[in-house]
Amino acid sequence: MEVGFIGLGLMGRPMALNLGKAGHRLHLWARRPEALDAFAGSGAAICENAAQVAREAEVVIICVADAPDVEEVCLGPGGIAESGRRGLIVSDSSTIAPAAARRIGERLAERGIAFLDAPVSGGEVGATNATLTFMVGGDAAAFETVRPLYERMGKSITHVGASGAGQVAKACNQIVVAITMEAVAEALTFAKKSGVDGARVREALLGGFAYSRILEHHGKKMLERNWKPGFKAWMQQKDLRIVLQSAHELGLALPGAAAVAQMFNAMVGSGLGEEDNMAVVKLVERLAGIGE
Amino acid sequence: MRVGFIGLGVMGRPMAANLARAGHRMSVYARRSEAARPLVEAGAGLCASPAEVAVAAEVVFTMVTAGADVEEIAFGEHGLVRGARPGMVLVDSSTIAPEDARRIAVRLAGHGVEMLDAPVSGGSRGASDASLAIMVGGRAEVLARVRPLLGSIGRTIVHVGPSGAGQVAKACNQMIMVACIEAVAEAMLLARASGVRCDRVRQALSGGSAASRVLDFFGAKMAERDFLAGVQARLHHKDFGILMREAIGLGVALPVVAEVWQQLNALMAHGWGGEDTSNLLRVLETLRPRTS
Repeated sequence: MEVGFIGLGLMGRPMALNLGKAGHRLHLWARRPEALDAFAGSGAAICENAAQVAREAEVVIICVADAPDVEEVCLGPGGIAESGRRGLIVSDSSTIAPAAARRIGERLAERGIAFLDAPVSGGEVGATNATLTFMVGGDAAAFETVRPLYERMGKSITHVGASGAGQVAKACNQIVVAITMEAVAEALTFAKKSGVDGARVREALLGGFAYSRILEHHGKKMLERNWKPGFKAWMQQKDLRIVLQSAHELGLALPGAAAVAQMFNAMVGSGLGEEDNMAVVKLVERLAGIGE
Repeated sequence: MRVGFIGLGVMGRPMAANLARAGHRMSVYARRSEAARPLVEAGAGLCASPAEVAVAAEVVFTMVTAGADVEEIAFGEHGLVRGARPGMVLVDSSTIAPEDARRIAVRLAGHGVEMLDAPVSGGSRGASDASLAIMVGGRAEVLARVRPLLGSIGRTIVHVGPSGAGQVAKACNQMIMVACIEAVAEAMLLARASGVRCDRVRQALSGGSAASRVLDFFGAKMAERDFLAGVQARLHHKDFGILMREAIGLGVALPVVAEVWQQLNALMAHGWGGEDTSNLLRVLETLRPRTS
């Protein structure tokens, strides 16, 4: 298939590489040309702008930072809408507000372009190993067309519902992930302050109801003080901003998410934004008077 | 002085009336012209647009809901800048985001118009009694020029700092006030659940360290179960959306305020946005229904 890919950052690059490996012909564009270095000699076509990507490809995948970026790529000057390619399918794997996804989808639909919101979970590791979870919203037929591509980048692929439903699922995912991250950080700090070995506590808990992938993987890294970023704290802050902004508009109280969001605000404000989001444990320790 | 006033709602109308009473020649504009009737009957000139107000006045006050409204009044098709002479002063008493205030001030400066952000606290009663607290951001020389006007609508006038600083102070005001309303609501809930009379508790507390204007005013409303609006709760909800966005941008954790925001979301969900913020008590009661 002729596949366009826009946004070759931490997540986008390994995702695109996996599509290339599967034999799809890639048409790429990146704001920062150095992001294309990984594709030198791979046979991928380098385009001038998003509109050219859209003219060459049957499906265009986007993976950028935030709604204004998606809007720019889709609707801005030199954007996908300018290509005038009716029948094109755009699949956006950025995490943006459900309302923004719906709005962009409607605008593209006016040009005969289908838009799927297809945010992912699984981090850089999942992107590299092609084990991402895809949560997709939008037209079912368009979803079926893109499904073979999702299967090359991920393992669990779900069509959640109409336009925006994928982003709703992603917001739900972030609520669970962020609160669980905080819960594991608090539990391990509780153990530490009580003078009990956190590693043993984690081991004991892994067999019970408190088991989670976050306790297993991130808990281990917290104990090892291994802060190598997969999913950075500022990204978590951004995703929680989307969650709480949507909750504000919906008239929905999310006391847990709101509390955890404050911890990520503090991470960014205290210069920990570039560290992995599990470094939130440092702030829990600081509050407990046992910080570094 | 020739004074303009735009936005004649619950707050704006009494503020404009106090300026008129002080002997200033008033020109007014309201989207719904019937809102201007009492002032026009008292001698104010009725204008067809903000531009007309700017032609007639040296100093123009605005008292509207959102940053976008102020922007529209200033720069819209028939906006202030279409009629303003260089040296005109815009005093914006709306509660908007500090960054919106700064941006609008910079754009107005390009038209030779000075702007002060001058949000107020004190509610409709303070507006009627001319006892408002006014928090001013902008240039000190400009404030010196309009201070006599501010003196006829408010009692406490503080120059907080440069452009935007007044709105920062207002955000701080809203945080303390609404968090305090929530604290009073929770105290009332505890008193009632204990079978103790709320009005007696309030009376007992008002002589001690917990005494506050919020306890006096909102505590009384809760004890009497009078939930009708002084200031509509939806406006506090709006303000919390603004200030929590600021907190993200600044990277500061506001744990209590974040929780109060969630309670306001729940208040909106129950359709109480048009009523008073003392409905935070009823939000708590949804979790523990009253038995008596």
